[in-house]
Amino acid sequence: MLKYSIRRLLGMIPMLILISIVVFSLAKLMPGDSLSGEIDPLNTSPEYIAEMREKLGYNDPLPVQYFNWITGFVQGDFGKSTRFQIPVFDLIMEKVPNTLLLGVTALVITYIMAFIMGMYSGRRPYTLGDNAIAGFNYIMLAIPSFVAAVFAIYIFAFQLNWFPFAGSVDILVEEGSFEYYVSRMHHVLLPAIVLGAMSTASYTQFLRNDIIENSRKDFVRTARAKGTPMKKIYNVHILRNSIIPLVTFLGFDFAALIGGAIITETIFTYPGIGQLFLESVTSRDYPTLMALTMLLSFLTLFGNLLADILYGVVDPRIRLD
Amino acid sequence: MASSTTITQQKKPERSLSPWQIARRKFVRNKLAMISSFFIVLVTLMSLSAPFLAPVLSPLPDISKVNISAMNIEPNGEHLLGTDKSGRDVLTRLFYGGRISLLVGFSATLIVITLGTVVGALAGFFGGFIDSILMRFTDFVLNFPFLVFVIVLNTILYGIVDGLWVLIMVIGALSWGGVARLVRSKVLAEKENEYILAALSIGCSPFKVITKHLLPNVISTIIVQGTLIFATMIVIESALSYLGFGVPQATPSWGNMLSSANEPDVLQGKPWIWMPPAIIITLTILSINFIGEGLKDALNPKSLR
Repeated sequence: MLKYSIRRLLGMIPMLILISIVVFSLAKLMPGDSLSGEIDPLNTSPEYIAEMREKLGYNDPLPVQYFNWITGFVQGDFGKSTRFQIPVFDLIMEKVPNTLLLGVTALVITYIMAFIMGMYSGRRPYTLGDNAIAGFNYIMLAIPSFVAAVFAIYIFAFQLNWFPFAGSVDILVEEGSFEYYVSRMHHVLLPAIVLGAMSTASYTQFLRNDIIENSRKDFVRTARAKGTPMKKIYNVHILRNSIIPLVTFLGFDFAALIGGAIITETIFTYPGIGQLFLESVTSRDYPTLMALTMLLSFLTLFGNLLADILYGVVDPRIRLD
Repeated sequence: MASSTTITQQKKPERSLSPWQIARRKFVRNKLAMISSFFIVLVTLMSLSAPFLAPVLSPLPDISKVNISAMNIEPNGEHLLGTDKSGRDVLTRLFYGGRISLLVGFSATLIVITLGTVVGALAGFFGGFIDSILMRFTDFVLNFPFLVFVIVLNTILYGIVDGLWVLIMVIGALSWGGVARLVRSKVLAEKENEYILAALSIGCSPFKVITKHLLPNVISTIIVQGTLIFATMIVIESALSYLGFGVPQATPSWGNMLSSANEPDVLQGKPWIWMPPAIIITLTILSINFIGEGLKDALNPKSLR
């Protein structure tokens, strides 16, 4: 197990190097460069610009530039954002808590909804309730997340006034106070529901099918024969076995949440990583763009790895080596 | 009448149904799939005939012209779905938008299916070194954060090639990984059969074995997958256009039309501008998915329905 994990982790390195080369080439291929952000905008003499170009390494051969960038990157020096004139690292760190909060809330919502619906459907398969849940899930699966987000804002933020439609916190509340945290939760809830609902459908159907399958197994018959109440069989005996495979979904959710966050954060103008990424593309903020692309690629890789490892951890029958 | 049927029956003994005929019968019996197919055909026909339908249905058939005199009109008898903030008729734009959205979805699906099938079939059939090289490459494509790279690539290529085809090529080139894996696994299972060994032993070239013997047995899976990918591609197109990184803003597509909902004013007060594209996107995706499920059932010889 440990050997496998280490081997997979090492296997990520060539992948990351490849991705870093692709990211670097893409950034170089994009129109314009970040020079104008690094120099004094008031000094426009050609000599000064040429000197700064030389000094900042824009005239070096591309492999040298790549090497300089990647060595800095590995050491945590992501460069300076040309748009905000602050280190990219600080910029990202400022937004990470927001995205993290959104992602975690979305996951919690997914799990709660999936558990309630999945357990209900699994216990009463092929009934009206089960079919209704299946139908609801099917529609949730088919509606694109951004369409759902637009409808959610229209209905819950504008028509019903239950949630704010933008931002991550009320401007008026004092930071650190109780109201501050309430306001943050209030702001994160609607985007998190939309983001969480995306994966709820697959979780629910999976849990339902697994519960139905497990309820036909011998250990359930034994438990029934011994007089265990049905409620206890479903909530303890079967559920324990059915939760396990769900854990593996967690890794894949990582990647889905990243892609989903870009769209959801933009629609809800929620200041997180996804929004920062789109802004860095539109404003040609290359250092931020490169750092974020690397970060998001790494997280996707890591999520896939996590899924594979968790798979082996929860189900010992699967041999990974 | 009765005698003529008996004569034809005498002439031709009744043949048992071919697998495709069985599949078609099963599909036709599936109500949900048939309604969905009808809807998709309707949307396609309306989109294709947009240049002819537009002048009939709307007083402002020109979608490229800004009409200051007809801005933000609510739906009425003249403009069935109202006009948007530039005074363009929403219904007309919906028709034209369908052309673009369906074109992008269809072309991207074609690229994805072709690339995925070729890579998957080669990897699965030849195995060994070719397999590991191709599959490493597939892993590489699959591990990219898709949306991130589509947006960056689209920004680079924008302006070099016509915007629409950039989008089609980029999303096509980045999403074939799943199909390649699927086709490979199917080919791996299929090539163990004796008929493949027989074909090889009488001297069929690998190309012939793949195209004549392997692919026909995998094609039903590819068709089902292709349907579902078609839906995904439409979603991707509209999501990217919504974010402003897809089809160029001047061209109407469903995603571009929906992006007007980015303005709180439009989203809150003028639902007739963004609701039609939102609803038609959802219905189209839902229908395509139902068709896909119907095809899956119909093409599965084990399903009883």
